[in-house]
Amino acid sequence: MTAENPYIPYTATVEETWYETGGDRCIKTFKVVFDDEDVRTNWNHRPGQCAMIGILGVGESMISISCSPTEGEFLRFSVMKMGKVTQALHQLEPGDKMMVRGPYGNSFPVDDWHGKQILTVGGGVGQAPLRPVVEYVKANRDKYAGLTMIYGARTSGDLCFKGEFEEMSKSDGLSCHLTIDVEEEGWGHNVGFVPQMLLDLNPSPEDTIVITCGPPIMIRFVLENLKKLGFADEQIYTTLENRMKCGIGKCGRCNAGGMYVCKDGPVFSYAVLKDIPEAFA
Amino acid sequence: MSAMLLNKEKWPEFIGKLTGKNLWAPKLEGEAMRFAPVAEDEVPELTDGNTRIPPKNIVFPQTETMYRFQLGDFEMKEPELKEEMILLGIRPCDARAMVIVDKLFSWDVDDPYYLKRRELVTLVGLACSEPGLNCFCTSLGGGPASTEGLDLLMVDLGDSYLLETITPKGEALVSEVSELLIEADTEKIKMKKKMVSESEGKIKRSVDHKGIPEGLPGLWEDPLWKSVSASCLGCGTCTYLCPTCHCFDIQDETEGFEARRCRMWDSCMFEEYTLHTSGHNPRPTRRERTRNRINHKYNYYVDKFDVIACVGCGRCINLCPVNIDIVEILRQVKEAL
Amino acid sequence: MDLEQLRKTAAEVVVREDVKYLIGWKQGSYGYRVAPVFVEDASGAAELLFSPLCTANLATYLTLVEKTPLPRGQEADKRKVALLVKGCDSRAVTQLIVEHGINRDQVIVVGCPCPGVVDTEKLAEKYPEQGKPAEVEWNGENFVLLCDDKETELPRDQFLAEKCRLCRHPNPVISDITVGEPVEPWTLADDNGVEEIEGKNLEERQAYWEEQFSKCIRCYSCRNVCPLCYCQDCILDRLNPTWVNRAVNFSENTAFNIARAFHLAGRCIECGECERVCPANIPLGKLNRKMAREVRDKYGFEPGVDPEAEPFQASFKPDDPEDFIL
Repeated sequence: MTAENPYIPYTATVEETWYETGGDRCIKTFKVVFDDEDVRTNWNHRPGQCAMIGILGVGESMISISCSPTEGEFLRFSVMKMGKVTQALHQLEPGDKMMVRGPYGNSFPVDDWHGKQILTVGGGVGQAPLRPVVEYVKANRDKYAGLTMIYGARTSGDLCFKGEFEEMSKSDGLSCHLTIDVEEEGWGHNVGFVPQMLLDLNPSPEDTIVITCGPPIMIRFVLENLKKLGFADEQIYTTLENRMKCGIGKCGRCNAGGMYVCKDGPVFSYAVLKDIPEAFA
Repeated sequence: MSAMLLNKEKWPEFIGKLTGKNLWAPKLEGEAMRFAPVAEDEVPELTDGNTRIPPKNIVFPQTETMYRFQLGDFEMKEPELKEEMILLGIRPCDARAMVIVDKLFSWDVDDPYYLKRRELVTLVGLACSEPGLNCFCTSLGGGPASTEGLDLLMVDLGDSYLLETITPKGEALVSEVSELLIEADTEKIKMKKKMVSESEGKIKRSVDHKGIPEGLPGLWEDPLWKSVSASCLGCGTCTYLCPTCHCFDIQDETEGFEARRCRMWDSCMFEEYTLHTSGHNPRPTRRERTRNRINHKYNYYVDKFDVIACVGCGRCINLCPVNIDIVEILRQVKEAL
Repeated sequence: MDLEQLRKTAAEVVVREDVKYLIGWKQGSYGYRVAPVFVEDASGAAELLFSPLCTANLATYLTLVEKTPLPRGQEADKRKVALLVKGCDSRAVTQLIVEHGINRDQVIVVGCPCPGVVDTEKLAEKYPEQGKPAEVEWNGENFVLLCDDKETELPRDQFLAEKCRLCRHPNPVISDITVGEPVEPWTLADDNGVEEIEGKNLEERQAYWEEQFSKCIRCYSCRNVCPLCYCQDCILDRLNPTWVNRAVNFSENTAFNIARAFHLAGRCIECGECERVCPANIPLGKLNRKMAREVRDKYGFEPGVDPEAEPFQASFKPDDPEDFIL
């Protein structure tokens, strides 16, 4: 075999874990660090990229890297408990090993957006790929005009990264708007669906980049409303997800039209996406 | 390129010189022909007609162990792929298919398993003198004696085989059997040309693909997809027997503490192929899956790798349980453009 | 077979308001192929065919329709499906009714008494397929091949498909409309295939099936073509937990094929489709017929003949034989 086999994962140790949400399909976040020092220092991911994470003997799943490289030499994955692999991942506790290979896919072109206002519109676990952008902007605060975050979920218990928002809404130029579908006692934020929240906020399209990620139905209405607000296709970005096996554009699983989501995506501007026939299937 | 002649009387001797070198040739198993190793004392007969199972499994095994490990341990042992092999009697369409699939396995990131197996195999082709009923290779840039992908081409001239070397690998093979060969004269070259042109004439089916790659996106919602897929059973026959279909699944398999991660052929015609764990399926019916199969071959692959991912071998037509016929689908696509 | 009558009957059925479509056979794209066709209007009925080439069991399509979520406000199409059936196919319909796989009132069974179909592989061996679709007809006892304005008599004992030699029900066992005259059941042949295997000792059987199952490429055509393999969540697909690994080797292939055979015990109606479609030529018919024979001999049960029957695998009688249980 050749010396470099892209299918061989690296071992990493789980340092910390915590639950973001509860329920049958709960979301658990893992903070992991590669065991090998060279891997740790050479690993270089960009906001929006993914990694194949898994357990030997069970399998692998493609998961968004939910931290920004600016946060340190570790990785974070927020994993929803769904199938065989994610169920097994949920068993992992600090000190356990996880296999990681990647990073895969393209990324949000954050460095092309210097000087711009960034607007993220997220729903549920869809905030996971948006979080690195938020963190990246925070770390490079002087390079961006500002950041507005809209984030919603079904209930307050379904919101991820809850502890991180308070501090954000205080800092200058960063604003955070949370919403849930139905009123709850003690909830001090908005109530209503994310697309409506977007309309109510009425952001100016001028010099603004919007990134949206969430359930397909939410994305559909967010896109509709962004058009109403006068955003051009080129200003809108989103991510796609499909079943993936290899992560390197070979296995054929993830194609949406002629695009391999694992290589040509997961990040697409709406200008590209609208012409991909299976993008919203 | 050089052209040599092997008298068929020397065929057993020729085979004898190769059998020690991991020689594979078409073999009839029941009624289905597929490539199998040639035993020491065996002399394979090369017959008319292509193998039912394509030789893609030689370079892309149906199940490939990617690495082995012990449960609870993190040391991953990759298989050692180092044994060279000779594939005797591969048809030009199937060799061409490998050239097409090479592009996928070597774009951006190299696939070590496939490329290693490709490097280890010497492809000794056999020109087709009796094309099958559903062959249409000539429509897609191939032909009964196309040399694309081959290291050596053999042409059956009745009482002898003409051997044309194409690559250094082919030359190396010829040099090992050189005492059995004589130089081919121009008469034999003429015979070959005649045979090839006669063979081309026997190919009855054709696809006029001009405009199809560019036109397919416009037919995305065309009713033809529903009608051509109505009778599809959703089995994997067309894709598994296709020499260019290359999609795979990766699974971990364990036996006691011994475990391996392996990859195996998968098919976009299976419902489960695109099924998300959430239950959502972006290609929910056979209509979308059939549309994907045709688009992948005649549109997406062309976009990405500049070649149609179909060589016209006709296997999917021969073996579809319900007579779904790609030539007929493409005729309808062309008509709808 | 009077094709005019068949087409006329079909046309009358498809124009009915409560009928979605009629599933039948039409001429294939070449050689001895016949293709299933979904007829939606009267004009489409003109394509229909019933001949000794119509081997496919169309009952498969009754359960093969994917149920995608309906757009809001849209109602499910509750119209009936009409289906052409031979004797063996009608047994699949009956068995589906027995198992509540389909509702009796959702199908219109158009029965075609069948004098037996030809073995197209044998036919192609003797008379190679041509690009142009050929016709085969019934002609008294025998078949006749019509190709290039030539008529060739095909002796029945030479070309009759194996499943038909063993057929007990050439006339549809269930039928709303019958097209054509009932045929006289014929003397059953011995099931040489099964007997040959029964005559082997354990090692020989092991060797035989090892050779056969090793050829399997797990394309799932046997499962998908089977009218009685219609579980929404098939155990052979399931990954969590994984019952049968995806790896293709003798061991997993055996698990795959044996699981199927057992799931079909007392349910298989011996239409022979699995064996016909297998690209690796695995004699699946022998396996399923052996199971069917056991069920018949031990329990006196034959699936798919009585729509009122209790499903075999779901019924128990105190005097059921159990001498084979170790």
